[in-house]
Amino acid sequence: MRESAMDVVSFWTKSWTSDDRVAARQLLAPDAEIEWNLDAPVDEEELVQTLHRIAAFADTVTVVEQTHADDGAALLYDLVAPFGTVRMIEFLGIENNRITEVRQVYDVTATDRFFPGLYEQ
Amino acid sequence: MSSLPEVHLVAGTPAEAFRLAPVALAMREQGRLTPVLVATGADPAAVDATLERFRLTPKITLPSAAGQTETVRRFDALWAGRTPDAVVIRDDLPAALAAFWRRIPIMQIDAGRRDGDLLAASAGESRRRLLAQVATVHLAATPLAAMNLLDERVVAGDLLLTGGTAADAAGKLLRRRPHQRRVVLGVPPERAQAIGPALRYLAARHPDLEVLRPDQVRTLAEAYVVVTDDGDLLEEALAFGTPVLAITEGTEFSEAVHAGSVRVVAADPAAITSAVAELLDSRIRRDAMAAGGNPYGDGLASYRVAQATAALLGHGQFPDPMPARPVAGVAR
Repeated sequence: MRESAMDVVSFWTKSWTSDDRVAARQLLAPDAEIEWNLDAPVDEEELVQTLHRIAAFADTVTVVEQTHADDGAALLYDLVAPFGTVRMIEFLGIENNRITEVRQVYDVTATDRFFPGLYEQ
Repeated sequence: MSSLPEVHLVAGTPAEAFRLAPVALAMREQGRLTPVLVATGADPAAVDATLERFRLTPKITLPSAAGQTETVRRFDALWAGRTPDAVVIRDDLPAALAAFWRRIPIMQIDAGRRDGDLLAASAGESRRRLLAQVATVHLAATPLAAMNLLDERVVAGDLLLTGGTAADAAGKLLRRRPHQRRVVLGVPPERAQAIGPALRYLAARHPDLEVLRPDQVRTLAEAYVVVTDDGDLLEEALAFGTPVLAITEGTEFSEAVHAGSVRVVAADPAAITSAVAELLDSRIRRDAMAAGGNPYGDGLASYRVAQATAALLGHGQFPDPMPARPVAGVAR
């Protein structure tokens, strides 16, 4: 993976986990493809808002592991809430120093339990 | 070169190889797919040895790295150069993540196995729930496993009750054999050190009694009873028609407990010895347990898995689900 793309991944994780919505939004390409497995529609705005809620509610958010490819990265997060931990996997596609694809996979059972109301507001 | 869709079956442990081998054979028999076995995990040689029993050889060997990250990268590199039309996995999360990343359809066998305790959930349980979220088609062994998946919001149309393929594997390896006075003790070494000597005291009343490790298929097939805390070994014992005393505090074997072929015992050498003695003293009790049968499969699951994979790739129809009623066992 190119160094600049790795910088994008690093900046993305730092931005959203520290609840910097402006910086996170700036990294997303205008026509970025966004999908997740939560039971709600998602677009750029909904993604940023949901990540904001996670960052605000969680005690800590940690990148447990990450894998880099030429055009993206896969990240494994631990979202530690007051009553339990949720694992989330995020796949990022990167072009021209912008994120063109975000695919998030949550442990939905744990999400519903430990982050109630996360995506129904 | 074959023009049939290529499907990679990823086996990371001997238990996975045991369950995927009959699927590869069924795919070959049905002639609609090209199955390619991938041996992975910490010890691919052990996977090879299990496949060898079915006269199968893996075409690809991809040892796991120490970290999950590097293992995902290795699968990604493999599938960047040789992209399968679908992958079949059981519990291998790195392979599933790599496939999901490349948008390769994922068929998961034995889907939906859970111990049912979210708060005390092990890392393995969390991995299974994540795996369910990236799988394309969920092939469940039991109705309870299917219900677990529905509870996790898996779409009903992506779910098929196929049964588990361990029963198919057992049927391909050995016919049922007359059981010997053998107790198979399938527990970790530290637990075996506590239980083994206690069981050997029973030899005073039963001079022909042997206590063995589960090191060979024949051992399971000929056993009088299996004592284990290992869910994979439990399923394999039931596949060979051998009743099981399960050392567990969870609820993951509840189908077999309801069927009667598994009894739960406390993790206490005295309690285990007492339960084994009860069965040794009464052949009728032992055979009544065996008659409970195997709720984890009817011996046709591998054909359903192969057919479902072909159907997903546009070749034929999805199979009918396994009849939900457990097949009654026959006492030997």
